[in-house]
Parts: sequence; structure tokens; C-alpha cells
Amino acid sequence: MSGNVLVLAEHAGQQISEGTYELLGKARELAASLGGVAEVALLGPRDLAAQLGAAGVVVSVDHPVLAEYLPEAYEQALLAVLAERAPRLLLMSNATAGLDLGAALSVRWQAPLAAYVTDLAAEDGTIVATAQILGGKILAEVELPGERGIATVIGGGLPAAAGQRDGMPEVADITPPDGLDSLRMTLQQVIEPQGGDVDITAADMLVSVGRGIESSDNVELVQELADALGVPLSASRPVVDAGWLPKTRQVGKSGLKVKPRAYLAFGISGAPEHLEGMRGADLIIACSTDPGAPIFDVAHYGTTVDLFDLVPALTDRLG
Amino acid sequence: MLIRIVLGAVITLAGLAAAGWRLAWLGRLVRAGAPAPGRVNGAAARLRAEVVEVLGQRKLLKRWRSGLPHALVFWGFIILLFTIVEAVGDTFVSKSFAIPVIGHAALLGFIEDLFTVIVLGGVLVFSVTRVVDSPARRDRKSRFYGSHTRAAWITLMMIAAVMITLLGYRAAQVNTGDFPYGWAAFASHGLAALLRPAGLGVNAGLETFLLLANIAVIMGFLVFVTYSKHLHIFLAPLNVAFSRRPRALGALGDLPQQPGAAGAGQLADLSWKQLLDTLTCTECGRCQAACPAWNSGRPLSPKLLIMDLRDHLMSSAGEPLAAPPRGAAPDGAAAAAAPAGAASPEGVAGTAAAGLVPGVISPDVVWSCTTCGACVEQCPVDIEHVDTIVHLRRRLVDEGRIEPAVQQVLQDVAQQGNSFGKSGRMRARWTRELGFGVKDARREAVRYLWFVGDFASFDERLQAMSRRLAGILHDANVDFGLLFDGEHDDGNDVRRVGEEGLFQMLVEHNMSAFRKASFAEIFTTDPHSFNTLRNEYPSYGLDKPVLHYSQLLERLLGDGSLAVDPLGLRVTYHDPCYLARHNRLTDPPRKVLRALGCELAEMPRHGLNTFCCGAGGGRIWMTDGPQPGERPSENRIREAVAVGVDYFVVACPKDFVMYTDAVKTTGNAERIQVVDLIQLVDRARRSPVADLEAV
Amino acid sequence: MKAVPDLVEEIELTPDGTGIDREFLTFVLNEWDAQALEEALLVKDATGAEVTAAGLAADPDIDQALYTALAKGADAAVKISGGADGGLQTRERAALFAAYLTSEPADLVITGVQAPDDLDGQLPPMLAACLGLPHVSVVVGVEASGDTVTVRQEFAGGRLQELRVRPPAVIGVQAARQAPRYAPITRIRQAMQAGGLRDVAATPAATVPGPSVRRMYRPEKSGHAEMLAGGADEVAARIVDLLQARGLVKG
Repeated sequence: MSGNVLVLAEHAGQQISEGTYELLGKARELAASLGGVAEVALLGPRDLAAQLGAAGVVVSVDHPVLAEYLPEAYEQALLAVLAERAPRLLLMSNATAGLDLGAALSVRWQAPLAAYVTDLAAEDGTIVATAQILGGKILAEVELPGERGIATVIGGGLPAAAGQRDGMPEVADITPPDGLDSLRMTLQQVIEPQGGDVDITAADMLVSVGRGIESSDNVELVQELADALGVPLSASRPVVDAGWLPKTRQVGKSGLKVKPRAYLAFGISGAPEHLEGMRGADLIIACSTDPGAPIFDVAHYGTTVDLFDLVPALTDRLG
Repeated sequence: MLIRIVLGAVITLAGLAAAGWRLAWLGRLVRAGAPAPGRVNGAAARLRAEVVEVLGQRKLLKRWRSGLPHALVFWGFIILLFTIVEAVGDTFVSKSFAIPVIGHAALLGFIEDLFTVIVLGGVLVFSVTRVVDSPARRDRKSRFYGSHTRAAWITLMMIAAVMITLLGYRAAQVNTGDFPYGWAAFASHGLAALLRPAGLGVNAGLETFLLLANIAVIMGFLVFVTYSKHLHIFLAPLNVAFSRRPRALGALGDLPQQPGAAGAGQLADLSWKQLLDTLTCTECGRCQAACPAWNSGRPLSPKLLIMDLRDHLMSSAGEPLAAPPRGAAPDGAAAAAAPAGAASPEGVAGTAAAGLVPGVISPDVVWSCTTCGACVEQCPVDIEHVDTIVHLRRRLVDEGRIEPAVQQVLQDVAQQGNSFGKSGRMRARWTRELGFGVKDARREAVRYLWFVGDFASFDERLQAMSRRLAGILHDANVDFGLLFDGEHDDGNDVRRVGEEGLFQMLVEHNMSAFRKASFAEIFTTDPHSFNTLRNEYPSYGLDKPVLHYSQLLERLLGDGSLAVDPLGLRVTYHDPCYLARHNRLTDPPRKVLRALGCELAEMPRHGLNTFCCGAGGGRIWMTDGPQPGERPSENRIREAVAVGVDYFVVACPKDFVMYTDAVKTTGNAERIQVVDLIQLVDRARRSPVADLEAV
Repeated sequence: MKAVPDLVEEIELTPDGTGIDREFLTFVLNEWDAQALEEALLVKDATGAEVTAAGLAADPDIDQALYTALAKGADAAVKISGGADGGLQTRERAALFAAYLTSEPADLVITGVQAPDDLDGQLPPMLAACLGLPHVSVVVGVEASGDTVTVRQEFAGGRLQELRVRPPAVIGVQAARQAPRYAPITRIRQAMQAGGLRDVAATPAATVPGPSVRRMYRPEKSGHAEMLAGGADEVAARIVDLLQARGLVKG
């Protein structure tokens, strides 16, 4: 069997996603152990291959219907790639595409799948993955038996730099399968989130609020601190779901990933989905009355002082 | 004479017919309500209530500035019934008509005149009150905000007219020589002196005219009464007779028996007593003035809620599903009040689909209630607001129309048995840090079963308090035990949110745990637990005495089990709603404070008039939008600071949490500190440490 | 619908360390499945569609979830037996549901996009692959009209894609358009008394192998935060120092 590792490339707006580079870096490492190369399946615009210099081979399937992500189209195209390239291991991110395709391909490509993977290694030809389940409470070390396997990987945990390199890789073209012309679903429109608001991914520092602020009244209290620091306010999912802040401020797996120089978290417990969005920050200071809150595992500094005492104290100090 | 009789008869019969017709119609409306169990038993208590509350005007006299004039006017009306009989006699029988037995006793004449003057005086006082406290001047702060002020003025004028025509015709009678009473009837004679110069003929004419006028005004007033809020003069005694005894507090009232979905979606889902409540409302606004929700700017006014139900009842006229126009044109004040306590801004009541909520009452109004019972406590005609609000909530819960935060809490309670969303197994984790073991009442017999409650078990600040209490009891050699994770939420607030089914499930669970355990008495940390265990669990089989921990501490201090040194602190005590108002327990905590050598300075709103912290009725679980006014807890802290004490003493876990936050948010952290009775006892008992600062 | 361990609980591992100890856990309905049920009921509210709630007999306390679904407005509830007992992996579940759906097809199969313990993959795509149906996951809204179904698929950062799908199809719901409606206990009890759970037996087809678990363990709390001591003022001072040291605040 081949020792190749295939990564599904994700792209939006003519840009390869950071998650793809993380996977590519890991793929190179694994492929080296397995005696193969790291390949990237690029479905859609062929010219994006130029951004994938670190790949051994870019396998391209270009068809108009692949220009934007569409589950059924991507599944058909990827199956064609898998049939042609027969890799040892398929890597995908745990984002929407991974949730759509991974498990389906497990059945159709007849390969065991490990989901919510945080790390992988190849031990004497066996793929071993570490997966995070039950809200992050339990880690499972699993083996993928057989001659092929699939892993969907949680983003933000692997170094992206390992997958980035200049240069143009080798490109292998695959004929788009016939099925792409007779799909049972179509893309109607893309809806971008309402703009006109701050881009929290560009901020140097973020003041972030979670469920611990208890009510929308108290957002104002923390906004004052953010203003005093001259930085934007961001939030975890519960705050956005409750409508206290717009979706554009949401940090996390289904929100935005941020890597500011400092991230101040108030009343955020640190659910895995949120941590995924901010664990890369340089300095994380967390304030939560629960000493066992998972946020303290990724924070550099923490305090259990009540945020209703701390926030005004900070605001005063900053004048 | 014939003219008098004919005119008099016409006026009287017309008046009686109109009033009778209207009353019969109102009676039909009320009878369309659902059956109300248990409203006729306990005749002795009901009779007593009639004497004390109606004749004795007990609740009215609580606020004596308006209560005393009202009592006098009320007694005046009763006395002046004699004059009505005499007037009728004068009209239809003869000018020398006398009531049998009493005849023309001088005393009667005097009392009649006296009360005529008193009533006029009362009308004056009421008029001044309505000007000084008018909604036009004081807006929401006026208890008359939303009341039909025009009807009130008409009432006052008509009463004055009755008195004036009465006095007038008596005075004229003095001058025609037909007046049967001597100088003791001072007002009649006094006025007569003024009229005498007009001459005999004029006075005779005046006598006839004013007598008929008197009857006409009385009949007019009678009819007017049946069409206005003044109906309470007939309905109040009726409503008081059928109200819950001893009071509509503590346990919730029995549910109206109804098939189909739970709760009140239409008028027919309310019991006839609840409908009678709405007709009895006098719009006095004492409930509104006492309501913590209204006082914090929220849209709930108990008065407006009852009035809105009444208006809907009257305009739906037997067809509860019809969409009525807004009844008799409300005057400006009521229309302005429409957004507050009413449905849509247009004031148009609901269609069949919309139902009572949101068709007549907005959901915001229903959910603003803390179930503190201040309204019920104040109401002079024994309206049972809390029961009606909870019944409206039951329908909202049945239809799933509750905010997600509350849903989550109810789901947590159903799943894990507590409102904190924590694992039920963690309930007694707070005991781990005690230096001693706590008995498990499921395994060994104990004297006292300590029902800890959700807040005292799961909230970190309160866990420390629970440990303190455990320490005190342990050192005093009290034999107590817990149910550990066998204890589930007591269900008091779950029931008041309207989830009757979940409440029953909790009771069943807790009762099953009680039956398996062995104990003599129960004591609770939380007054809410105390309330439901004492008042509602017995109908599910609980037959052991239930205490609040303040009672237990009182006991221990009294029998010497706890030795203490006097603290000499200057404190004020906040009565928890569910101890004081719902269960009339105001003494034990005060006795404890006295035993601890504390100087107690009372806040104006203390004892049964205590002001709610705002957490009850499930409100502590609700996350409704920005707070429109000052929070009740903040309002209360300001009241305490004004008294000038160092410590604000509480006896309820929720109070502790609410007031500790309020002290911070009102910036009074340097001026006053919130402490629980437990902390004071701990400090005072002869044992080291027990730092009052560290909770 | 799937019953999963209640995540507020402490989760114990089995003695051999390869699985979780299920005996003393409380099981609750998978939160995503609750969202899926709500979305299905919303489609029913809008179009009058018929909703059947289906669960596996092997799931602990699944009856409670099925009766709750009925109380919320589902038209029917089905309990599927077959396959192994307890702790079924996703592919085994997919095979069982697929067997049931082959004998009683539906126009739309709606289920939660994932579950906290689906180590070997998520149900909607697997189920779709078993049945040969199109599928879309991470859906936040389903609208059906006539014979087309429009779904909104959610991506990172709040971006959405609207897709039109030709049924029959499988939808994996991330979140319903509104919070799941509340089912009052009284109604759930009424549903239980009325009965109404239909038992169905199914024979699952063979499945692809899954990952084999070497061990399960709790994450070490490595790299725990340095906790700042003191009251609000001291901590505030410390934080300002930390920010100043990095030039994020004017010193």
C-alpha cells in the first residue's frame, strides 16, 4: 500500500485556508514516516495550486460546480481522487466540509474514520490518532486499522508554518467525474455576515465576554473597559446566541479564529469550541469564578476574582 | 303628596330595575367561570373575616391616612342606611314616618347628622388625596396611575350630592316643622337656620324637591355603582366571604377545575372567584404601590392586570372568544396606562387565537411577578392576584412560551434535580470541607432533617454559609442529617413559574426520599423551601413539623445549647417575603438578634410590609432585557442605608446573593455590609475565629 | 435521536481503560438531536408534514426522549431494536437506521450534525451514504415547499450558504431557527400514559471497521494558568503591568 497522505484543501475567496496548511504540515511529517509523499486534493480553481508549494503533488479536479463548496459535488470529486490516488490516509479539517464529507467517505471509501483528532503519528506503519470527545473531557488514543484511514482534525492545534512553502508544486489533473453534471443539490446563494462592524481578527488585543456576565445590561460594563483599552469587544457563542453582541464578534469554532497579542476573557468557561478560536493568542488572561474552568488550561494568567469587581477596577486604573 | 309618591316610585323602580339588570348580567359573567373548589367551607373563619375585614376595615386601616377616612365613610354609609329608610318612608308613607322600635330617638338624629358631616369631610379628604397623588403630577409613582380617575370624581361628587340633598331636605323639614329630631341633629338645625329666611312655602317646596333629589341621586348612584369600579361596595363583602382563609398567601390556591390544557388561556379557564376578583377591584392602587416589579419600572401592576382582565370580561359579554373594542371609553389616564399592564398599545383585546396572554395581558407583565404577595397583603377586598398570575403562567408553560433561560433551568431541574445545571451527585459536596462527618438521614435516624435547598448547596458563596451553619449545629450537639443527593429542588419556584407537572414530579421524588428516611422534624435553609414544605407538601403526605433555621437557632439560643457573647452591633433586619408575608414568621429572627445583643433598627418597610429582593417567582432565572428602573434590591439597600446601620441582616440564601450584589452596584460597600443570621451567631458564640468578613 | 452521557457529570473510565463506564452515568438526549427535532417540528408547523421520532432501543432512557418528542408535537415515535446492546458506534447506528428507513422511507431525514461521543464519525453523512441519498450537514435552517428543500449551511465566521436539495435527503442540523420548544412535564406524562411508542426490529448490514481504541484518558491539566492573588485591585494592577510590559498599554 502507498504511504501517501492526502489532504483536502479548503479555500474561500481565492485563498487557501490556514487549516489546510496545518494539515499539510502534519501530512508531510506522516508521509515521511510512511515512506510516501503528502498530496493535496484541490477541488475547484486550479490556479490555487500556486499557494500549495509544500505539497508533494497537488491533485486537481476543476469543474465549474466546484468553484464554491457544495457537499455532493465535493464528495463525488474527492471519491474520484481517492480512487485514482489511493492514499494511505485522508486528512480533513473538522470544519463544515469535514463534518459533511468525512463520515460519508468512511462508508463509501470503506475506511475507518477517527473524528475530533488533535494529533496524529505513524508508528511502524500504523496510524495512531489522539481524539478529543465528550466536550473535551476524555481523550482517546486510537488506531486506524487496515490499509486506509480517514482523520478529521480540529483546527488551530497544529503549526501552520510546517505546511507553508513557496514554489509551484507538481500538479496532477483528474477528469471530473460524470456525476458532477447531475447533482441533486444546487448552491442558491452565499450570505456573508453583516459587515460594517469591527474585524476582531485584525485586533491587537481583545476583551472578550462569556456567559458569566449574566445579562445584556452588563455588556456595557465590559465595553467601558474595552474602550479604555481602545480595543474591540468579542464574545463566546452563548453571548452571541442570546443576541447581546453581533455574530461578527463571536470567537470560536463556528465564529472567528483570532490570534491577538493579548486576549482578556471575562466570564468565559472555556468550552473546546471557544478555545479552538483563541488558544493561539500570545497572552491569555482569564477571569472566572469557577476555579476548575477549562479556560485556565490555556490561559497564561488567571484569577477567580469576580468580574463585576475586576472590570471596574481595571477600567478605573486605565483612566 | 301624590306627586311625591309617583315620582318617587318611578325613580326608585327605574333605578332598581337598571341596577338589578346590570347585577344579574354581572352575575352571569362570573358564573361562566370554572368551578372553584373549597370556597364555602370553613364558615366560621369566613364569618370572622366579614366582621374583621369588612366591618372592621382592618386592611384599609393599615394605611391610616386614607384608611381612616374610608372607614369613617364606610361606617357612615351603614348608619345612613337609616336615613334612606326614612327617606323612603317620607316619600311613600308619610312625613312623620318613623323606623319601628328606634323611632325618633335623639341619638339617632345626632348620629345621622354626625356621619353626614363626617362623610362630607371624608369626601373632602379623598378629593385632596386625589389631587395631591394624581397620576398627572406623579405619573407611575401615583397609586392611581391607570385608574379611572374620572369615575372616581363622579363617585365623590355623587356621594357629596347625596349628603347635601339629605342635609338639605332635613333642614327644610326643620323649617316646615316636620323634622322629628331635636337639637342633637345639629347639622340639620344649623342648615335650617340658614334656610329659614326663605319662608315656609319655599322650604316646603325645597323639602319635596330635595327629598326626591335625594332619592334620585341615591338611585342614580346605585345604577352608577353597578357600572363602575364603585361596585366594590356590594362585591367586597361577597369577595371577602369567598376568599381563601386565612389568606391567599403561602400555598398557592387550588387550581380551578378544568378539562383540557393547563392554565388560563381564556376567561372561562379562570374560576368564578377569579372573575369575581376582577369585578371587585376598586382601583385603589395599594397593590400597585407595594409591588416590587412596578417600583422597579417593569410593566407589571397588579391593579392594572386585574383591571385589564375585568375590562376584557365586561366587553366580552359572555363570548370570551370575541375580540371586543375597549369597553366604556377609558379616560386619558387609563389610555396612557395602556402600555403598562395592558396588551398591545392600541388596547384592543385578543382574538381567540391570541388568548388572554398576549391578547389581553402582555407576557412581560406576567413574567415580571416575583410572587412576593405584597399585593395580596395590601388588597382591602381580598383579591388573589398571585394565584391568577400563576394560573396565566401555567398556560404559557403548557404552550412552551417561556424564555430559553427558564426552559434550560426547568430542563436541568427535570434532568438533574437542581436549578444550577450541575450534576445531582454534587449536591452535598459542600460537606466535604467540614472537619466532621454529616449524618445521612437515609441510612440512620436523625432528629432534624436539614433540607438544604439548591442555592445553599450549589452556590459557592452560600456553600460557605452552609458549612458555618453545620459547624454551629455540630458544636451545639444538634442531631441532624441530610438527604445528600437524594434531595431534589423543593419545587416552590418551579410551581410559581407555572410548571405544575414538574412540581408534582419533584414533590413525589422528595416525598419518597422523606418516607425512606427517619427523622422527627425538618428545617430548611431557604424560606422558599420552608414555604412549600410547610404549606404544600402536607397534601402529598408530609406530616412532620417544618422549621426555618432561624426558628431552630431561636430554639437553641433559648434552651442554652448555644452560648453566645453579645455582639453589640447596630443592624437592620430584612424580612424574607416567604417567611414574613407568606408564613407570618417575623419574630424568631428578631429574637435571635436580641439574644445576640444586637441593636435592631427597623426599616420603614419591615415585617409584613417587607420589600421583596426581586428573586422570587423564578425571576432569578430570567434574563429579560435592560432594567428599566432601579432594581428592587437596590431600592431596598438605599432604604437600609437611610436607617443608618452597619449591617443588613438576611435570613435567606437568595436575599444574601441579591443584596450583596446590590450593595456593590449602589456603591455602598463602605457603608453597609450584608450578613446572614448564621454569620452573626457564629461570631457571637464562644469559639475562635468566625471572621465576619470571610464568608 | 441519540442518548448521550450528560456532560455535567464526571465521566468514569472502565477498568481496562478502553472505554467509558456507562453504568452510573445519566443519559440525556444529544443536544444537536434536540435541535434537529425542533427544526423538524418547525417544518411541520410550516407545511403540515408528518414527523416521526426514531431512536434505538439500545440507548439508555431513549423512551423518555421519544415521549418528549411526542409531547412536543411529533406525530409518531419509533423504537428500533437490533444489533448489539449499548454503546453503539456511529456506523452501527447508521446501519440500523438505514435498515429501518429502507423499509419505511422518509422524504427528509433530520438528525443532529454530531454527538459528543461519535468518535468514528457523524451520523448524517454515514446514514446518507448507506442509503445513497444526498446530504448536507451543519444546517441552521430547513424550509420545504412543494418538492424542493432549501437549507442554510453554516461556515466559520457566520458565513452561510443556501442550498436547494432534491428529496429524499439527509440533513445534519447544527442549530434550529429557534431554541427547542419546551415540553411541559404534564404533557410528557400524558404521552407516556397514552403509549404510542412503536417497536420496530431491524437487521443492520455489515459495516466498515472503525478505529480501535487503545486507551482513553483524561487530559492532564498541563500548562495551567498562573493564578493571580489578591482582591480586585491587586489583580487589576497586575494585569495592567502585564499589558504594559508588552507595550499594549501606555506605561
